[in-house]
Amino acid sequence: MISQFFILSSKGDPLIYKDFRGDSGGRDVAELFYRKLTGLPGEESPVVMHHDDRHFIHIRHSGLYLVATTSENISPFSLLELLSRLATLLGDYCGSLGEGTISRNVALVYELLDEVLDYGYVQTTSTEMLRNFIQTEAVVSKPFSLFDLSSVGLFGAETQQSKVAPSSAASRPVLSSRSDQSQKNEVFLDVVERLSVLIASNGSLLKVDVQGEIRLKSFLPSGSEMRIGLTEEFCVGKSELRGYGPGIRVDEVSFHSSVQLDEFESHRILRLQPPQGELTVMRYQLSDDLPSPLPFRLFPSVQWDRGSGRLQVYLKLRCDLPPKSLSQELSSPEQKAELWDGALRWDLPRVQGGSQLSGLFQMEVPGLPGPPGQGHSTSAPPLGLGPASLSFELPRHTCSGLQVRFLRLAFRHCSNANPHKWVRHLSHSDAYVIRI
Amino acid sequence: MMVPELGEIFELKAELNSDKKEKKKEAVKKVIASMTVGKDVSALFPDVVNCMQTDNLELKKLVYLYLMNYAKSQPDMAIMAVNTFVKDCEDPNPLIRALAVRTMGCIRVDKITEYLCEPLRKCLKDEDPYVRKTAAVCVAKLHDINAQLVEDQGFLDTLKDLISDSNPMVVANAVAALSEIAESHPSSNLLDLNPQSINKLLTALNECTEWGQIFILDCLANYTPKDDREAQSICERVTPRLSHANSAVVLSAVKVLMKFMEMLSKDLDYYGTLLKKLAPPLVTLLSAEPELQYVALRNINLIVQKRPEILKHEMKVFFVKYNDPIYVKLEKLDIMIRLASQANIAQVLAELKEYATEVDVDFVRKAVRAIGRCAIKVEQSAERCVSTLLDLIQTKVNYVVQEAIVVIKDIFRKYPNKYESVIATLCENLDSLDEPEARAAMIWIVGEYAERIDNADELLESFLEGFHDESTQVQLQLLTAIVKLFLKKPTETQELVQQVLSLATQDSDNPDLRDRGYIYWRLLSTDPVAAKEVVLAEKPLISEETDLIEPTLLDELICYIGTLASVYHKPPSAFVEGGRGVVHKSLPPRTASSESTESPETAPAGAPSGEQPDVIPAQGDLLGDLLNLDLGPPVSGPPLATSSVQMGAVDLLGGGLDSLIGGPNFVTPPAATVPANLGAPMGSGLSDLFDLTSGVGTLSGSYVAPKAIWLPAMKAKGLEILGTFTRQVGSISMDLQLTNKALQVMTDFAIQFNRNSFGLAPAAPLQVHAPLSPNQTVEISLPLNTVGSVMKMEPLNNLQVAVKNNIDVFYFSTLYPLHILFVEDGKMDRQIFLATWKDIPNENEAQFQIRDCPLNAEAVSSRLQSSNIFTVAKRNVEGQDMLYQSLKLTNGIWVLAELRIQPGNPNFMLSLKCRAPEVSQHVYQAYETILKN
Repeated sequence: MISQFFILSSKGDPLIYKDFRGDSGGRDVAELFYRKLTGLPGEESPVVMHHDDRHFIHIRHSGLYLVATTSENISPFSLLELLSRLATLLGDYCGSLGEGTISRNVALVYELLDEVLDYGYVQTTSTEMLRNFIQTEAVVSKPFSLFDLSSVGLFGAETQQSKVAPSSAASRPVLSSRSDQSQKNEVFLDVVERLSVLIASNGSLLKVDVQGEIRLKSFLPSGSEMRIGLTEEFCVGKSELRGYGPGIRVDEVSFHSSVQLDEFESHRILRLQPPQGELTVMRYQLSDDLPSPLPFRLFPSVQWDRGSGRLQVYLKLRCDLPPKSLSQELSSPEQKAELWDGALRWDLPRVQGGSQLSGLFQMEVPGLPGPPGQGHSTSAPPLGLGPASLSFELPRHTCSGLQVRFLRLAFRHCSNANPHKWVRHLSHSDAYVIRI
Repeated sequence: MMVPELGEIFELKAELNSDKKEKKKEAVKKVIASMTVGKDVSALFPDVVNCMQTDNLELKKLVYLYLMNYAKSQPDMAIMAVNTFVKDCEDPNPLIRALAVRTMGCIRVDKITEYLCEPLRKCLKDEDPYVRKTAAVCVAKLHDINAQLVEDQGFLDTLKDLISDSNPMVVANAVAALSEIAESHPSSNLLDLNPQSINKLLTALNECTEWGQIFILDCLANYTPKDDREAQSICERVTPRLSHANSAVVLSAVKVLMKFMEMLSKDLDYYGTLLKKLAPPLVTLLSAEPELQYVALRNINLIVQKRPEILKHEMKVFFVKYNDPIYVKLEKLDIMIRLASQANIAQVLAELKEYATEVDVDFVRKAVRAIGRCAIKVEQSAERCVSTLLDLIQTKVNYVVQEAIVVIKDIFRKYPNKYESVIATLCENLDSLDEPEARAAMIWIVGEYAERIDNADELLESFLEGFHDESTQVQLQLLTAIVKLFLKKPTETQELVQQVLSLATQDSDNPDLRDRGYIYWRLLSTDPVAAKEVVLAEKPLISEETDLIEPTLLDELICYIGTLASVYHKPPSAFVEGGRGVVHKSLPPRTASSESTESPETAPAGAPSGEQPDVIPAQGDLLGDLLNLDLGPPVSGPPLATSSVQMGAVDLLGGGLDSLIGGPNFVTPPAATVPANLGAPMGSGLSDLFDLTSGVGTLSGSYVAPKAIWLPAMKAKGLEILGTFTRQVGSISMDLQLTNKALQVMTDFAIQFNRNSFGLAPAAPLQVHAPLSPNQTVEISLPLNTVGSVMKMEPLNNLQVAVKNNIDVFYFSTLYPLHILFVEDGKMDRQIFLATWKDIPNENEAQFQIRDCPLNAEAVSSRLQSSNIFTVAKRNVEGQDMLYQSLKLTNGIWVLAELRIQPGNPNFMLSLKCRAPEVSQHVYQAYETILKN
């Protein structure tokens, strides 16, 4: 059972403080938490901390600390899940989660908390169910308007199937503006993949895995049915075979409980009646067997002159994506390289598919130890050089090859306006590491 | 607290009393916002309460919100609102009814409770499920304020009825409320789990929200199925939860499965299926956010220790990612070692070697240590590990080299005379070692292999120069190493050994060092042959796997999977306050359904012994067993339906034992495992070897009081019992002397303890081998353990005992001296002692005077040490000897002491600091007893 919940700003000021069981140590608890967190030694985990009989569990979300305390031996999983649901809920109701939106909507947040938690027991975290109980309306700083957007075309030119919505378009309250119905007809569907890769120093691939999810944020009235068509060659498990080509294969799939799968087996169509707000429709993962080549290969070579202490790092980066797949306007990227926190950082704003970039970096590192017995050799790289890590974002690309074929909305009488549907595909690196 | 400006309050007051609803609403919102940032707006209480009578739901909710916050500080004002509350409980709108009953429960003012009962009774039977589920929680709230009232009003029965409610939300809240109430009344029979109610819960499980599922699964985990068939059928119905998106549901399901699996035979097909099903959900958790990953890894660490087969093929998922937070990396590393086997060791080593070149120093150190642990765990890999370590030493990265040398020392211990060829390489790095642990390890290696290192004397001599600047660890090691060298090469090193002995004995004020020096000196001067035997004795092997959780604790922690206990790796009693939830849980013994019906006697004891030695029977429940005459598997849960603490032994034990006498199938409780704390682990290092301060004292055992009469013959139909308590080498026993002063033969002896403050319980049945004839006396030593049920007694060390024989059952109570609970590893590290002393608040400090004790500081220290009170440090301040001492109780409570002794003054001052100050008085009595006898 949860004793207290509070939200702290990134500087540790309490924005929301709620006590559920009357066994509190008062508001000092929030301060105590912040002191403990900031004073924690490096290798200790901040996830679960305790002070006497009070246990703190927290997550960080949008720069805020969401903290729950308890004095009993309860499940830390449920607390962590709850905190991340609360983050989603507050986002749904207040528009986005941030210091400003929270402090403008204090009363709403308390009302939500009262319905979500009673005496520290979680009651429900469903946006939909809570709608029956919540009375307060969100205060939004500025009314939202689609025409107000300055950054349309964030990802570049439009393609035939998917229009591109600015990411800020999704950050407004799901449930506000009861009065103006017209803006409600929007739905965002994102296929997001996180790619983890580990390449050994000899170039062999040690590990690849892809964590993917299909996320939906719907502003449509609840209960409107939609159908999401996935790539038809989508196979689950090692043995299944579909289509004539190699297929799009994943190891494991899980669906949100509201997804109906009657058309999934035959046509790879997910049917659901989503509540308003955000939900993860499907999660999947795939390891070791990637259908397409890796997006990037990095060929590092290191030379070290022991005498002068000069270290030369030559990096060759090749992008193996099809040439058209990335932004077309790459002429001379503004590159930047700097030494930062014991590492060399090389920033590239854009890389064209099929292109190759290389960089030569020279550093003076006098004290670096070299391999033994080769005192005067100049070419062998020094030992103790850490790996290279790539981080990137690939718009309109999924590493698994999974695509959303279509998103169809079945409409009920009430709404006549044609709803906007935004389908986006995105891959980004989670840990993309090449050992040197 | 900030005080808002007067003008602000005034303005708000005006707005609150405005006629316009909108204005009122905005005003209340402003008040709430001020409240949140810590301003004191309690002055507006009456004005806000005035806004309460409205038909606007939003405004009403806002007012209720304010009330909840201030009612406690303004109880008289809160009463003003009561009428509206009561009225709102009758409102036609279910939202308002629920709101009122919810808010009233949150106002923790005693006066309000009497008004609450009637509305609550109605709401519990409300037609709307939203109101019912809110009312169910309200019962728990009210119980916390006034438990008696809840019982008297019969709310508990209504709550029990709600478990069969048609709405799953109501069921979930009723289960949650009952579970919580039951925890504060361990003896009540609130959550009567039987096959029927379990069935109901399993049905509700499929229907309710994810949060409700968690309550229900946790409740299921407390149930003990009657046989393996029932266990399997529950498992089958719980398994689908493993694919739930909410990790809390998954882990609660894992807990149920891990626990019930204990009852299934390994030969069963289903057992194998279940094992396979457990892996994927655990692996999936590792792709979640780092916070969840960390918590999951802590749990997986336990699961891997208990059942390594579940994840043995999943090594890859524990490989560290470059961008994992450090705390996730360290946990993964630990699990990698636990899963390392001959099959995957090559892969693991390749990974570890990579980690050792990363940037983060802490992580690199742990990775190097891990390579050493691999070498010790997987013998076939030792050679590879050593060559990997040598590669790392070649990097010359200072901390890598030092860490590698520390682990190579352990490898030498494990595989003597195998890898000495590397010593030369190690010696090259002598100069770069600046950490005490690495220096000590290197010195140990030089001393141990002195005969093979030509210039061992030079090497050791070089360390000797700065002897006084070294840390104690290094000094002790150097002393031992030079003595070893001398015994091996006596001719050339005489001077060196004399030098070190004089440094240790004459120039040092460290008692450990002095003592060790003197012992060596005397040994060498009186009997060099004996010295050789002692100093160069064969060393005990170091254990295969380090850091394993002790099996009994592991079993207990498995019962707490998915809770905070599984993150801390400590039983809840160690971190949860007071009475709640400290009942020890244990895994159920395996019971086959066929066996239990045919031969009940063999069922509990038979299964564990052979193939699976680590299954422990549920000792904590023995009392419950005996009393319920349940000859099957132990029933987990409260033994009897008595609730109050003050009840004497007679009430608690009444009936149960009586009926036992008649029962023909009286089953002796299954034999218990050895108590947990058998001295300090040996693996910890060399310094233990000759460390006399922690070695010798423990062997002699604690002080034993002479036997006293516990049960006079006239009170027990001729049976006289004398007894005392002893503690020797980590085991506690109760020494009894039974005399038959009656005229008839006595047989069929049995003994039981009532629950007590430290969970003392017999570890074996009372064995009186032959019938006791008239005027005969027997002496029996009854081994005890401390894993029984816990209940705080008054006084703390009170123990209520029931002894039965063929004539009757007799009850007596006795006080045990606390020092039998002082464990052998109660010596605290100096730094930790210092930090802990500062950390414990001053109000927890208790002062006592020990009068008329003729001993000096040295004698006091050694006498206390034999009873496991350890002197951590000694100082002399203004002529007074200050002894800083530590001790640890069997339940993990530390007590720190400062003993002030003035030479010539027989009265000592004792200050005790402890997080549980109630034990101080008894610790003081233990000091008295030990020092004066």
